[in-house]
Amino acid sequence: MPTIVIASPKGGTGKSTVAVILATEMALLDIPVTILDTDPNLSVTRWANAAKLPNGIQVIGDITESNIIKMIREHEGDGKIVIVDPEGIASRKMSRAITQADLVITPMRPTSLDADIGAEIINLIEEEEEALGRKIQLAVAFTMTSNTIISMQERGIHESLVSQGVDVIECKLALRSAYSALFATGGNLYTMPPQGNMEAAKANAKRFAETVLIRLEKGNTNDPTQK
Amino acid sequence: MTQPKNDNVTPFQVDLKKLRSTRKLQSEKELSQMEERAAKKGFNSRESSGTPGRKPSPRTGQVHAKVLPNVSDEIKEEKNRRGVVQGVLIEEAWALYKREHGL
Repeated sequence: MPTIVIASPKGGTGKSTVAVILATEMALLDIPVTILDTDPNLSVTRWANAAKLPNGIQVIGDITESNIIKMIREHEGDGKIVIVDPEGIASRKMSRAITQADLVITPMRPTSLDADIGAEIINLIEEEEEALGRKIQLAVAFTMTSNTIISMQERGIHESLVSQGVDVIECKLALRSAYSALFATGGNLYTMPPQGNMEAAKANAKRFAETVLIRLEKGNTNDPTQK
Repeated sequence: MTQPKNDNVTPFQVDLKKLRSTRKLQSEKELSQMEERAAKKGFNSRESSGTPGRKPSPRTGQVHAKVLPNVSDEIKEEKNRRGVVQGVLIEEAWALYKREHGL
């Protein structure tokens, strides 16, 4: 099954939240997932240890530069989607993970700083595609967005990315207390104690995961080299 | 095909057969070329390559004191001339210092 790398060289963009939301929503669709927690902060591991892991999800820590490629290859071959959550810093570990990605998701809060730093991943991937003649599917995900308004900054960044041909995931992951609380409660949005507007959080997470799955399906359809 | 178990807002189906891994960078050459390009963009190793700093002396288990370059050169010449390690000279210097200061 494919590998999704959640990559941003900046911390605090919501990488681990994206990883956990995707994993839990995919598991609800009976799609098994392995999360490789390569971030030394071990946010995903903390989530995994907070409660019983939802069925269909496996979390593996202790990923190093030297074993990351081997671990991805090993786990994508066992019938599970692999989600890699790297540290929020430009690193060799991150670039190695990208070499094995079927889809790179770059989470960005709607701020110029996140957009500028996130552009480093976009540039790296564009350069790789050119050098290797291999398509690396990339999508930008806006995270921690307002539930009610779209700021001028967000609109500007969105338009700028789209005008440069960057794929922006149409479903944003809004700032919701349930998403941050997941790391303390563990489990998924259906097993955790209610936090804020749960129905909106569930609908948002579900739609977000669907848009990612659609990209994985389309990416493979368009890729003649699929194995 | 599989359908979600959670509360549906809109029906969604995903074809699991299409969720397959694509061809990835395989050869060591491709990977190292990619890493070189990535390193130029700041994607460098962030892992520790071992204990930083100078290794402790095998004779005393201590880390040598740092001295000015000219002193270092003179000590080096003298220890080479006598065929001893620098620590021996420092021990002798310390003995002289103690004698001079009545320690």
